[in-house]
Amino acid sequence: MSRAPGTPWPDADGLHVDVRGLPPPEPFVTIVRLIEAAAPGTVLIVHHDREPYPLYSELAERGWHAERIEGEPDEVRLRLRAGD
Amino acid sequence: MAQTTAFLGGAKSRLLPASVPFRFFAAAAAFHLIGWLALGAGAAQVASFRGGLGWPLAALHAVTLGVLVMTAIGASVQLLPVATRQPVLSQRLPAGLWWLYSAAVAVLVAAMAAGQPMPLAVGAAGCGLALIGWAVLLARNLLGARGMPVVVAHGWAALLGLGLLLASGASLVLMYLGAPAWSRSSAIVLHLAFGAYGFMGLLVLGFSYILVPMFALADSPPHRPVIASLALALAALGLAAMAAADMAAAVVLPAAAIAGAGALALHVRLMRQALRSGLRRQLGRPFVLVHVGWAGLGASLVAGLALALQGPAAAFERAPALFGALLVLSLLTFLLGMMARIVPFLASMHAPAGRRGPPLPSTLTAERPLALFFHCHLVAVAALLTAVWFDSAWLVRAAALAGSVGALAFGVFVGSAWRRMRAGAKPPRVGADL
Repeated sequence: MSRAPGTPWPDADGLHVDVRGLPPPEPFVTIVRLIEAAAPGTVLIVHHDREPYPLYSELAERGWHAERIEGEPDEVRLRLRAGD
Repeated sequence: MAQTTAFLGGAKSRLLPASVPFRFFAAAAAFHLIGWLALGAGAAQVASFRGGLGWPLAALHAVTLGVLVMTAIGASVQLLPVATRQPVLSQRLPAGLWWLYSAAVAVLVAAMAAGQPMPLAVGAAGCGLALIGWAVLLARNLLGARGMPVVVAHGWAALLGLGLLLASGASLVLMYLGAPAWSRSSAIVLHLAFGAYGFMGLLVLGFSYILVPMFALADSPPHRPVIASLALALAALGLAAMAAADMAAAVVLPAAAIAGAGALALHVRLMRQALRSGLRRQLGRPFVLVHVGWAGLGASLVAGLALALQGPAAAFERAPALFGALLVLSLLTFLLGMMARIVPFLASMHAPAGRRGPPLPSTLTAERPLALFFHCHLVAVAALLTAVWFDSAWLVRAAALAGSVGALAFGVFVGSAWRRMRAGAKPPRVGADL
């Protein structure tokens, strides 16, 4: 099933969102909105096509942090979660 | 968390060194101060200014080339490769461009102040070379960009504006050397329309479509009205070019001002929609300046229309100076407002990540210098416009004084962001702002 870029879906390891193909700043805005609306303990897996430099300070501002995890070739996949 | 830090460290290696964009910002801060000081030095000639070498022209170019274009280069060399997913081609090229461009602008401004055509030609040639080099970097980024047609279209249109800005500027310099390529009036119309509205204006519009939704955490505006705004702007520039070529100037120049006003009105409407719908509503003093810049640009187009119609308003002796002051102060105010947001944001991208990630832009922002700049700048803008209206040299000097204090405060703000970034963004001590 194909999803529109930016549409989240749940999976066993967390809530996923694929922002590849969205023009800037839509990936940034999509991710921050999901974080703002996330329930406590949510893990967000982001499928990105670039390193989202501007995102990191927004994460820090909200007490979230990013971890790079294995993804497809040419993909930057991040696991985002709140707290330490 | 160690993994996160390592990842961020890897990401940073693909950014330009922070010293590259920050050297452009530092030079812009210096030329900002020079611009106000030059204005004060030429206070008696400002209200009646209609072109020609001297302090007012030097002040004008310290602001346009030294602040507006300098900042646009500094921000674009860092932000565009990130936005367009282009690898940084070379670290040395932007750094080399900075040396050439900064020195050339300094020579050009000094030559204008001193009324010396030959050094003016040397400075102008250096500026032209540096801007062509930057245009090549920008074009390369635009060619490789995918999925961002709005920004790319504005970028190409701005490059067209840059081409005509440089050509008309060359003709004006040749005029001072006794061999003009075009008539003075044609060159001035092209220089003004394509430099201020075409080149800087379209860069402002294009970057805003990314930066405003990003800062406000809002959806990007729909494409159709954005393209309509760009089409109106291009139509306005085309009409201005016709006027410069003496093709029914009495009709097409007012039409250009109306088309330009339509383009701006659409753009501002889209940006205000983004600001209203965004998650982040409080954007602070920087966005007050952004709003003042938008209003001033609109007022400059109304003043331009009044001049183009050659009615009673155009007979007002100081109307040309008022129009020029409105245009340049609006662009300056908009850009400094955006810079007040971008500088801490870029510093955060470059700062060493601590245990909890990179420092927040708010911890890299020196609030007191920023507040001082904000108030002084608005006082200076209001004082200068009033001074031109009433032909008051002492009020020009008062504006120059307030503007200079504001420029110094803005320089402290930029320097403080740099220091805090280099220091790993330790929390500032109480009272450590100034």
